[in-house]
Amino acid sequence: MSESTLFVITFILYILSAFFYLTFLFSKEPARAKPGSLLAVAGLIIHTAALAVRTVESGHAPFTNMYESLSFLAWASVLAFVVIDKKFKIPKIGPYIMLIVIGLMALASSPIMPKEATPLVPALQSYWLWLHVSVTLLGEAFFAVAFITSIMYLAAKEIDKKEKWDSVSYRCVAVGFPLFTLGGLVFGMVWAYKAWGTYWSWDPKEVWSLITWFVFALYLHTRIVMGWKGKRSAVIAIIGFLAALFTYFGVNYLLAGLHSYA
Amino acid sequence: MKAFLKVFASIRLAIILLIILAIASVLGTLIPQQRSLEEYTARYGQLSGLLIRLQLTRLYHSIWYLTLLGLFALNIIICTLTRLSPKLRKALRPHIQTEVKSLLALKVKDRYKKNAPLPEVKAELEKSLASSGYRLRTEGRDFKVCLLARKKILGIFGSDVVHLGLLIILAGGIVSGLTSVRKDLALKEGESLPVPRASFEIRLDKFTTEYYPDGSIKAWKSAVTVIENAAPVLAKTIVVNKPLTYRGYSFYQTSYGWNWDHPAVEIWSKKKSDPAFVKKLKLKVGEKIALDDKDQTSISVARFIPDFVLGEGNEPQTRSLQPNNPAAFVEGFQGGEKIFSGWIFANFPDMDRIHAAKPTDLSFELKSFEAGQYSVLEAARDPGANLIWIGCILTMLGLGLAFYWPPWEIKAVLEESQGKTEVIAGGIATKSRDSFRSEFEKIVTSARRTK
Repeated sequence: MSESTLFVITFILYILSAFFYLTFLFSKEPARAKPGSLLAVAGLIIHTAALAVRTVESGHAPFTNMYESLSFLAWASVLAFVVIDKKFKIPKIGPYIMLIVIGLMALASSPIMPKEATPLVPALQSYWLWLHVSVTLLGEAFFAVAFITSIMYLAAKEIDKKEKWDSVSYRCVAVGFPLFTLGGLVFGMVWAYKAWGTYWSWDPKEVWSLITWFVFALYLHTRIVMGWKGKRSAVIAIIGFLAALFTYFGVNYLLAGLHSYA
Repeated sequence: MKAFLKVFASIRLAIILLIILAIASVLGTLIPQQRSLEEYTARYGQLSGLLIRLQLTRLYHSIWYLTLLGLFALNIIICTLTRLSPKLRKALRPHIQTEVKSLLALKVKDRYKKNAPLPEVKAELEKSLASSGYRLRTEGRDFKVCLLARKKILGIFGSDVVHLGLLIILAGGIVSGLTSVRKDLALKEGESLPVPRASFEIRLDKFTTEYYPDGSIKAWKSAVTVIENAAPVLAKTIVVNKPLTYRGYSFYQTSYGWNWDHPAVEIWSKKKSDPAFVKKLKLKVGEKIALDDKDQTSISVARFIPDFVLGEGNEPQTRSLQPNNPAAFVEGFQGGEKIFSGWIFANFPDMDRIHAAKPTDLSFELKSFEAGQYSVLEAARDPGANLIWIGCILTMLGLGLAFYWPPWEIKAVLEESQGKTEVIAGGIATKSRDSFRSEFEKIVTSARRTK
């Protein structure tokens, strides 16, 4: 099956998953969440196949242009959600995550995104492309889940529910922060050193990942050392995710720099 | 001194500095960095002078940003050191709990009684703890023993290892800033250039550009030889992402260009009177070549311009080093006398700019040209880079310890009276509390059950 067919099937599965999650959200019947989660997992499997086919057909990692990297970020977000949901049983965030994922998939399939796989420019011909981009986006996917659970915290009213969202947010950051540090900053520096001969050039994308890192460092220090929890923590996590989103997306379109690939 | 230490030991300062650093960094991505004065004036007008004076146009290298980083480093050092000694004491000489009341106040706790003397009960509990990987310390004897069992104690140093890693990264940045050497070497094929501040040369043997079928660039390849004491010592092909490293220097493929000194051109000569007449000539710039032996005419190409444009005073010059508008200056001779000359253009074959003393029947077209390319290799030596990698490894190791190697602690008080021994145990885990709770239950259950 071709990559575009698999992509469409994935998209449909995600939409169905979001639909069931939304009926669960409005009916508050836990049984409705089950098909939502099964469809998300099914979508994830087909999506994995789509990415694999893309890799085989193009001969390079499936995140070298905006279409590919959006699709990969959607994949990573579903993966992060499935992992967190399995551990903490939080189907409530299902509808929101799946709506974000659908948004990413819709953006990826919009006509303004060129879809054809282009051959790799010399600067991207490196196995560090795999390591740098996949680990960074996976980290950002966990930030996305933390973003939603933090909003859930702010929206929740009962104290025990609030506590649960607060703790899940922290656990997401605890996974996302090391991944983001490793993929975005460490692997990024190693690759920059190999390709350009300098590990840090204060390029806007580099600076914005540093800013993202500062925000989550702030999150951890205020929380662990100063005992901030709840509302203030949630707000910092939300700002952190927005910074990560800007690093990923905004820098490419609003600021010029070395990172002009995707 | 005391006040100074107090300020720098505070986590509040760290938080303020993180916020200021984040905001300052944002500012530097909004104002384009290190551009020309003209660009700033065009963009910001009156404001540009102020921006430059505040060093906002080279923000990340400005005194105030570097000062912020310095304060941040100092803050990290003092914060870490002041918190280190209690942590070391906790790890090496822990306080063993003797109060039953404080054990019972813990969230994870249990108590049981056995009809056995204390040493027996203690041995069972110790065996159970040891089999789960706990290291034990005991205090007291005879009828009351306090026990402290711990594992993954290294986890408490996670944040310190991260901080050490970050400081080493900052140190690496300083070393790089002060000592790194960086120079672009533009090399023609066959040419060699000395590497700055090194005792060897680098020679470009061959430079090739490979293309994908769609015409986009696949690779730039520079085959180079390292020459030391006039002898070749190492040969390697450098491509983007695969630098050559030799004696602490790395050589990167950074750019390329055409060498327009002596291009070879192909010129077709035609006769206006005879459309069937075509003579194809290949010659180098500066070379004279016979056109017609009968009337002893010859031509030469005196100049070649890759991107022809008329400058001030109608002087021909090149706009760039890219072959966007290639032009050749052709001269015709007859018996040593110049009979015509003029520019011909590859992109405009019909444009005839030949000026002749006598009317000539000949016309010329610039069909193709071949120029040697040069390759630009960046020679870089950065002694700070190794510190950066050490810092990165420590940072990741520290994050791993801090998040995924949480110290677990089980404390117990054993008391014997009238041949019966009572055990009161409690546990503390700052992270992974659920798995700790189940391990605690497993240990206590197995110690209780043994006969």
